[in-house]
Amino acid sequence: MRKITIDPITRLEGHGKISIFLNDDGSVANVYLQIPELRGFEKFSEGRPIEDMPQITQRICGVCPEAHHMAATKALDDMFHTEPTSTAKKIRELLYSAFYVTDHTTHFYILGGPDFVMGPDAPVAQRNILGVIAKVGMELAGKVLNTRKENHWIIQTVGGRQIHPVFGLPGGVSKRISEEDRNQIEEIAKRNVEFALLSLKVFNDIVLKNKSYVDMITSDAFTHKTYYMGLVDDKNKVNFYDGKVRVVDPDGKEFAKYAPREYLENVAEHVEPWSYTKFPFLKKVGWKGFVDGKDSGVYRATPLSRLNAADGMATPRAQEAYEKMYETLGGKPVHFTLATHWARLVELLYAAERLLELVQDKEITGPNIRNIPANKPDEGVGIVEAPRGTLTHHYVADEMGRIKKCNLIVGTTNNQAALFMSIKKAAQALIQPGKEISESLLNQIEMAWRPYDPCMSCSTHNLPGTMPLEVTIFDAGGKEIKRLVR
Amino acid sequence: MKPRVAFFDFTGCEGCQLEVLNFNLEIVDLIGAVDIVEFREASSDHSEEYDIAFIEGSQTTQKDVERVQKIREKAGILVALGACSCTGGVNALKNRFPMEENLKVVYGDAAKYYTTIPTRPTSAYVKVDVHLHGCPPNRNEVISLVKCLLTGKKFELCHNPVCVECKLAENVCAFERGEFCLGPVTRGGCNAVCVTAGRKCWGCRAPVDEPNINSEKELLAKYGLTVDDVLNQFKLFNGALEVSK
Ligand code: SF4
Ligand code: SF4
Ligand code: SF4
Repeated sequence: MRKITIDPITRLEGHGKISIFLNDDGSVANVYLQIPELRGFEKFSEGRPIEDMPQITQRICGVCPEAHHMAATKALDDMFHTEPTSTAKKIRELLYSAFYVTDHTTHFYILGGPDFVMGPDAPVAQRNILGVIAKVGMELAGKVLNTRKENHWIIQTVGGRQIHPVFGLPGGVSKRISEEDRNQIEEIAKRNVEFALLSLKVFNDIVLKNKSYVDMITSDAFTHKTYYMGLVDDKNKVNFYDGKVRVVDPDGKEFAKYAPREYLENVAEHVEPWSYTKFPFLKKVGWKGFVDGKDSGVYRATPLSRLNAADGMATPRAQEAYEKMYETLGGKPVHFTLATHWARLVELLYAAERLLELVQDKEITGPNIRNIPANKPDEGVGIVEAPRGTLTHHYVADEMGRIKKCNLIVGTTNNQAALFMSIKKAAQALIQPGKEISESLLNQIEMAWRPYDPCMSCSTHNLPGTMPLEVTIFDAGGKEIKRLVR
Repeated sequence: MKPRVAFFDFTGCEGCQLEVLNFNLEIVDLIGAVDIVEFREASSDHSEEYDIAFIEGSQTTQKDVERVQKIREKAGILVALGACSCTGGVNALKNRFPMEENLKVVYGDAAKYYTTIPTRPTSAYVKVDVHLHGCPPNRNEVISLVKCLLTGKKFELCHNPVCVECKLAENVCAFERGEFCLGPVTRGGCNAVCVTAGRKCWGCRAPVDEPNINSEKELLAKYGLTVDDVLNQFKLFNGALEVSK
């Protein structure tokens, strides 16, 4: 059993590999999941000049380099004890909002969307971007591509490069926004808001008006009662760029609220012998295994978690969408994993509105973009909300200003335990004694993990195609009885 | 028949593929002219041949080596796409430590189940026909390469250092701002984007063919830096440079 699950080859190839073990009677005994590793970034940053960290760490992931760049830059602010200027903070948040617009758009329409838009029973061949285009129509599909393109332009213009931006410096940013660029960004921001509203309407029409989809969202197979984590501002509203980390319990009550530097008192990482992946959990609750409920330290950090952990959204239309979601799904917190897709669209609208607010802010084109650090760097923590979960960077510098220690808790890792539980639960509901194990099982198991958008959801399925996925099923004697690969 | 183009990813962040394939409109045209047959691993049951194979990422395990050799056998033209594949990229920073130490950090107690080898660029194992440098490479350069390959024109990399484009962009030199810039010895072709954004060049596009070390030395001396400083800074993206061909 162990021999099979610890197979670094499949992992390094970026496959999502799931191994399912059955009992004698053919029901599910256990499930193992493997995810690509971090390539040792914590180790190989050692000895590099600390200013290189925003450049180094963003190479963890080409899908969300902006998140690492931002968390690293904030950790540098903290190491130098230097607050960025007000304009610099706004420029950073502006870029970050544009990033959220592209990332959430990609996820909804290209990665997660196919599950919903096409429906769970659609054949694999149609569950991709081409199928989505056929269903929602060329006009909307054109808008999806255009939204991505325009927001990539913002990232490139403000951050210096589209993939792997370079603008983050301790105490500020390296480049002002010109009035001309501001005007263009404002036009894009207005289109983003329209696009986000349209996306919520699409969700309403295709998903919410269809009873079988709603039944699936609210079904037990896709439900877990866990703690939820997310960054909030000083009014406890969702914030992606800054604030304190708030955790609510499975009843929705505030359990903890901590500043970045206090993360180690709140989060610890559990290690399992069958997986190199670490499983973060709430230290003050404790690790009780892969179970949900109030006594288990398992938490989730996803778009839905952020909404659950906050008291609302800081922009008006996103707040309306937020209220509608909770009304429809029976109040806070929502435990239905599949509702994460809906929450992602609420966040898309918030990111769009926030971008518009920032670009209309008088300070945004201001000249004062950096406070030059005057202190010696020592230790610092930077936290942002990555689209896939709370992202923590923690560095310690040596005397020469080089990295002595680096600790990272990356977006997807937060959800590792829950991801594993969700797959297991879906497998248990779907694989039953005497029932044929079919290809459509792959789809449904994929649906269980898709809401978390694990990081290996990579460029490979940005193209017309399907996610690389491998499910191996073993009988009680450890013999492989079925293998589904695509 | 349309030329068959394949993308394979090894150890890297996949940023190169995203840069190229980000659904931008130029790419849609290009996609119309070629057949993208593969964009994951070469699975054993595929016996396809590729006219152009793009390799993204560096080779960091024995399996990677075998896989890239298999791809080479089936590929007409093999392109190393991006710093990871060309010169090791950031992954090669791990070569500064003993491999057992790296394994221990990544896998902890499970380290005994794994092996790893030092990060190597693709050319350390197979013949590479074209190197497209950069972390990630410049999208226009990729497009112009594919166009050249389609029309049989000769493809030329930029042979000037980044400084040439930087001066054209009328940037204030990073050295004048007290920063240490690798532009004088780095291959251009990126329009010095990082300097234009108010930063400096980190050398992600690898050394220019014949770097003018002497003039660089003078410049370094003027700012109190040594050749070792340059080499150390170059390690950020080119840690396995010495074994690339
Ligand atoms: S070269 Fe850079 S962008 Fe490309 S895979 Fe490597 S780290 Fe990512
Ligand atoms: S900033 Fe760098 S690339 Fe530009 S001119 Fe100066 S040394 Fe050359
Ligand atoms: S300026 Fe230097 S670091 Fe920036 S893209 Fe060009 S070669 Fe790479």
